[in-house]
Amino acid sequence: MTLKREIYKALEDVVGPENISEAPLILGSYAQRTRPRFEAVTLPQNTGEVQAIVRLCNRFKVQFKASSSGWGAYGDAGGPGVVKLDLRRMNRILEINEKNMYAVVEPYVIYAQLQAELMKRGLNCNITGAGSNCSALPLAAHQGIGHLSVSGSYGERNQLALEWVTPDGEIVRLGSLGSLGQWWCGDGPGPSLRGIIRGNVMPLGGLGVYTKAAQKVYHWPGPSTFAIEGVSPHYNPSQIPPGFMIRYVSFPSSDKLSQAAHKVGASEIGFILMGFNPAMMASNMATNNNEDRAYFKQFTDLVQGPGFLIIMAGNSPSDTEYKKKVLQQIMDEYSGKSLEPVEDPKNAGGFMWRFIRVTSSIREVARASGIFAGQVGGTDVFYLMHQYILRSSPLKERLINEGRLLADGTDPFVQLVEHGHAGHGELLIRFNKQDPEAMKAPAEVGMFANKTAIEGHFGVPGHVWGDAAHDQYGPHTSNYHLWLRKIKKTYDPNAASEATNYITVND
Amino acid sequence: MALEDYRSDMEMCCRCSICKFVPLEKLKEIQHSYVCPSIARYNFHTYAGGGRMGMGIAMLEKELEYDGKLLEVVYNCQMCGACDISCKYAMDMEVLEPINEIRIKCVEDGHTVPALDGVINSLRKQGTMVPGAKARRGEWAKGLDVKDITRQKAKVIYHAGCRVCYDEDMWRVAKATVTLLHKAGIDVGIAGENESCCGGRAYQMGYKEELLNQAKQNMELIKKSGAEILVTGCADCYCAFKVLYDKFGLKDDLEVLHTTEYLARLIKEGKLKPTKKVETKVTYHDPCHLGRLGEPYIHWEGKPVPGHIRIFGPPKEFRRGTYGIYEPPRDVLKSVPGLELVEMDRIKEYAWCCGAGGGVKETNPEFARWTARERIDEAESTGAEAIVTACPGCERNFKDTIKENGSSLKVYDVVELLEKAT
Ligand SMILES: Cc1cc2nc3c(=O)[nH]c(=O)nc-3n(C[C@H](O)[C@H](O)[C@H](O)COP(=O)(O)OP(=O)(O)OC[C@H]3O[C@@H](n4cnc5c(N)ncnc54)[C@H](O)[C@@H]3O)c2cc1C
Ligand code: SF4
Ligand code: SF4
Repeated sequence: MTLKREIYKALEDVVGPENISEAPLILGSYAQRTRPRFEAVTLPQNTGEVQAIVRLCNRFKVQFKASSSGWGAYGDAGGPGVVKLDLRRMNRILEINEKNMYAVVEPYVIYAQLQAELMKRGLNCNITGAGSNCSALPLAAHQGIGHLSVSGSYGERNQLALEWVTPDGEIVRLGSLGSLGQWWCGDGPGPSLRGIIRGNVMPLGGLGVYTKAAQKVYHWPGPSTFAIEGVSPHYNPSQIPPGFMIRYVSFPSSDKLSQAAHKVGASEIGFILMGFNPAMMASNMATNNNEDRAYFKQFTDLVQGPGFLIIMAGNSPSDTEYKKKVLQQIMDEYSGKSLEPVEDPKNAGGFMWRFIRVTSSIREVARASGIFAGQVGGTDVFYLMHQYILRSSPLKERLINEGRLLADGTDPFVQLVEHGHAGHGELLIRFNKQDPEAMKAPAEVGMFANKTAIEGHFGVPGHVWGDAAHDQYGPHTSNYHLWLRKIKKTYDPNAASEATNYITVND
Repeated sequence: MALEDYRSDMEMCCRCSICKFVPLEKLKEIQHSYVCPSIARYNFHTYAGGGRMGMGIAMLEKELEYDGKLLEVVYNCQMCGACDISCKYAMDMEVLEPINEIRIKCVEDGHTVPALDGVINSLRKQGTMVPGAKARRGEWAKGLDVKDITRQKAKVIYHAGCRVCYDEDMWRVAKATVTLLHKAGIDVGIAGENESCCGGRAYQMGYKEELLNQAKQNMELIKKSGAEILVTGCADCYCAFKVLYDKFGLKDDLEVLHTTEYLARLIKEGKLKPTKKVETKVTYHDPCHLGRLGEPYIHWEGKPVPGHIRIFGPPKEFRRGTYGIYEPPRDVLKSVPGLELVEMDRIKEYAWCCGAGGGVKETNPEFARWTARERIDEAESTGAEAIVTACPGCERNFKDTIKENGSSLKVYDVVELLEKAT
């Protein structure tokens, strides 16, 4: 289906001929190869243009979908008749308010940019674990859980005031923005629609366009930047800033790991805490896959069981001492063992910088095979999520034994959120995307994880999006899917906001 | 190698967009954080390294027509390789190689753009990429007492390059080079009228045959001359002689040095002594083909080993820009008394391109100037009085842009400043 000339022309009038295309070549780069293509791609520059495009789509009964960095495949068209809004021209940091500790960004500011600007001001932000290449808009990330979530929370909680172009083309300003024109609060004075504009996860493009958002930012006790020496990919900080410390601690059992992690949370000593397995640690450090394999073997031989990465950042010499002592106590109590290559001063600074800046997620998730799946996981009570992932993992082990998944040290991945007030667990898998048998594995893992979640009453995990998944979970969870559909229908009466990865309404 | 040989590389692309930015570990502020001129100017994802990976696959699958849009995207890219470096911080995949192969395929399939056809016709007819060149190739050396390597033996051959020979404004750089080499007691010669284009830029434009023809011709002349070292002040020529000729097995054991490498060596050996003060504050622009793309070629033939992890048999070492020529030009500048060198935000392996590369100056001068403007602004923001580079292509584009858009920034070649001090 090609857009009617009338529609194309109207869109072109909004963004200008340079900023719209329907050339097959252009459309192809906004779709995974075998997936549906957009009818046109637009590059709006401001909220007014976004609104105009959304209104035109409503008027002409075509759908639209926005994306920020455009990484996630869920930003692609779910079927024919969809117009893309690529928001990359909306790329400004609008405000960094040091006193009230928030930052306001447009969608195409990436986390690496925002964090760099914040660090210069003694501040820091949570970054999605996907990497600092992702949009810094707290609503672009799927859940916004990341390395810094133990001390810097996550998307839903960090989000403050918001500017939203609704699916039918209204501009709504939420929180203090709606009443005072200020960004510091997401819930008032002024309308709060926090539970509407996002649920357990984001609507993934299915509920209008977020054009500006404020997020809470945090204290950063480190320098404005680490002095990095060397040439890519061999970067290394020339020194470790005072008060910073990194350890990878392995434990004799998964139970001990989770108890130790919980203690880290309770004592609030963690700046970063991630339950990475040796495979992730190896990938983070390695500059290529051969090195990766060698480090993986080395690290696997050195650990005693599942572990976590912890980075601590002291605010003063005594705070640093306190944190060190507490960690030692926790390690003693739960028989934790430090992985030497991580604490080795030759490597420690590099690890620290890569994890704090979340620059190596691509090494961790994409270099091995070009594909990765954080297939299964959710955010809830830490122990519950730990149990959930443990219960979901036997299938992964079977698939590894069958040779369909990579043996990556199968420990389930867990992390603390807000010093353990919540926790996140994920089942990470890697596989050869050229192998048709391996390609079937993610779906099998997903099905097993869904069965586990539903039968084990683990709640609705973060990997639940799209009609089929909501319909599967809804009846077991207070019929939330019916409410979600009501939200969709109320705010999107013309079903203009393409919602394959959110929820659709069939009248 | 052909585009098909890079299929598995292109299929590795996960659309992470890292190739649009400087390596994220090095990103220090929002300003100057973009690294790819093409996506920065044209915005559609297609123009970025990642977008080009998808294009390559679609071309292999014959899903795309050779239309105007395709050629517009293909040729609005400086072939600067910044995407390649940022991607390879994390990934084991080629990016620039397939981008180049896409161009080669366009040429092989007979789909080219008129502006480049003119340049290539000139290359075929007169051995230079400068159409309608009036000046004679060796005229820059008039009055210099320098050996002619077609008649006399010399250990070192200085290759001036098309951009110097046919641009009178650049002659002083070539003259200064020869003067400095003479001062250092180097037995240097030139090919004068018999010098011919290196073919490097033709290759970047997709004209592989032209590169090979030029390489054969040039190597024959050099072999005959008995010269052991080739020195050039042009980044494109440097990359061609050192990297591309090697890639195609045509370099033999010729040592290829950029003038800044050679001059830095001579200063270190005490053969050149910069003593006169040149009181100025400058910033250095790394030319792409000297910096990140100037590292040696690594020969490898093999295949991915089937399995969950992408590894190769035999193991493949990727060129990641690590061993480019970054320090020698800086060492030369630092040797100049009174000169203060300040750095821009985007340097070395993640330097922003001058805008002239890959045929862009010929096909889309407006885009070439837009890209240069961005670099000039960056240089101005350092407080430097001048931007110094080590390639006549960069110098020309900066000068043209300043002339058109205005700036008080001066433009120099490293060699000019050294000459003033020596
Ligand atoms: C390899 C990988 C690892 C990941 N790991 C994590 C993780 O650890 N934690 C986590 O929380 N998430 C994770 N994710 C999901 C990730 O958070 C998102 O892919 C990413 O943060 C989204 O940011 P983006 O700029 O890439 O958005 P895009 O890829 O551009 O978009 C993501 C989704 O949000 C929608 N969207 C984007 N911007 C807007 C907007 N302005 N208005 C309306 N809709 C919009 C899009 O339609 C799309 O559905 C991972 C994803 C990948 C691919
Ligand atoms: S080319 Fe590399 S950096 Fe660019 S999108 Fe693809 S994988 Fe990412
Ligand atoms: S070679 Fe340079 S201009 Fe071309 S896509 Fe890569 S970074 Fe962009």
